Amino acid sequence: MGVTTERQDNTLIAKTDGRIDGANAREFQDALDAAIDSSERAVVLDLEEVSYISSAGLRVILLTAKSLQKQDAKFAVCSLSESIREIFEISGFDQIIAVHDSRQEAIDVLKN
Amino acid sequence: MEPPYKILVVDDEPDLEPLMLQRMRRHIRAGKYTFVFAQNGVEALERLSAEDDIDMVLSDINMPRMDGLTLLDQIPKVDPNIRSVIVSAYGDMKNIRTAMNRGAFDFVTKPLDFADLQITIDRTLSHMTEWREALSSRDKLVALQNELNVASQIQQSILPTEFPKGSGYEIYASMEPARNVGGDFFDVLTLDAGMVGLAIADVSDKGVPAALFMMSSRTLLKGSAIGIGEPGQVLSEVNDLLHEDNDTGMFVTILYAVYSSSTGELTYANGGHNSPLLVHADGTSSLLPLTGGIALGVVPELEYQQQTVRLAPGEFVFLYTDGVTEAMNAEGEEFGVERLQDVFAAGPPEDPKAANEAVFEAVSEFAGDTDQSDDITCLAIYRSES
Repeated sequence: MGVTTERQDNTLIAKTDGRIDGANAREFQDALDAAIDSSERAVVLDLEEVSYISSAGLRVILLTAKSLQKQDAKFAVCSLSESIREIFEISGFDQIIAVHDSRQEAIDVLKN
Repeated sequence: MEPPYKILVVDDEPDLEPLMLQRMRRHIRAGKYTFVFAQNGVEALERLSAEDDIDMVLSDINMPRMDGLTLLDQIPKVDPNIRSVIVSAYGDMKNIRTAMNRGAFDFVTKPLDFADLQITIDRTLSHMTEWREALSSRDKLVALQNELNVASQIQQSILPTEFPKGSGYEIYASMEPARNVGGDFFDVLTLDAGMVGLAIADVSDKGVPAALFMMSSRTLLKGSAIGIGEPGQVLSEVNDLLHEDNDTGMFVTILYAVYSSSTGELTYANGGHNSPLLVHADGTSSLLPLTGGIALGVVPELEYQQQTVRLAPGEFVFLYTDGVTEAMNAEGEEFGVERLQDVFAAGPPEDPKAANEAVFEAVSEFAGDTDQSDDITCLAIYRSES
């Protein structure tokens, strides 16, 4: 479960791919923790290439959102496939984590 | 395994004992090795039986009463984890090969080169240490697995197996746990005035933390359900209670519903759980609308909206966890809601138990040999025709 990062307009964009489930959620969490520095002010998690996310994966995203909130940083996810978006909607996570259609939209919103 | 390591030297040559003690004196003094001696195989076995702290055996081959090769055969019967090194005549490949076949770890040749002997002893002991550590981790793993199995059994034992059967309705629920300790649960509660509380839930992640979270969710839900009644308020209270001191990011999706046997109305609130299906008498079905609730334990002080649906006689409401819809086949496809609806469309179930069984069978057939990665839980409530 690799996480790649790039930077755009002072926003850190983290991206991963494939399935995020109970088997690799821990690995995903470690990779995400390693990628996000405590000095970050804005982080976007790009889920475009993620095909499936289980509740274990949602939990990692939730923990990331909470720890970013503690360091006063903004956080959003973007580019969800239809099935991932559905998982966010059913669980109500779209109400507690900002969801954007595209990476650019997320960056623009987080800038302000 | 820690020094000093105890080495049993087996040789009928009486001069070897003083020689060994003399040549190894520095290591003995440093507390690295201790040596004990036996004159032949029989004596060696006696010592091994009497002293269980011997770490390795260094044995000659030709000895009276019992030779070294026979001894090699006998040692595992006393202690299968002892490693042996054989001392053979130089170039005696036949005996060396026999010794190795009988489980000797290594060999040294006569006349003894003590520097080489020491290297061989150290290598044998280091192998021994790793072997014992591996054995102990394996034992720990087995013990842990046993505890997980017990945890899984405890979880399942708290799920109801008998369901209230009032006038005009029937309920059935079951769970097929995944191999790991999972986090699904359901509950059926007999409330006042012909009301029945129905809950289905799925805790994030699996394993022991999920199991603990599941236990407290279930207890809190039961307490609130009996005390409050209104599904939306029940979820709101359980959410607050679960949120307190929850810094693990754990959450649980719960759908809680109250069915009134007098009116056939089912009032539900949904905290982040999959939408139940309303199954009509002809087998067609539709998803009940979401109520916009967030999974419980994440954000405090939430209000949960509730909805009411009226079951016509002959209709079901079918509750399930994502273990059903996200069950995968060998091609990596998910079972999905449509296949679930197809199960009922293919033949409207006669009763809630038949509905559950039909779904479990369809999921199992769909998944084939693919491992079940999540708990699968179904709960059906049926309003009787009359």
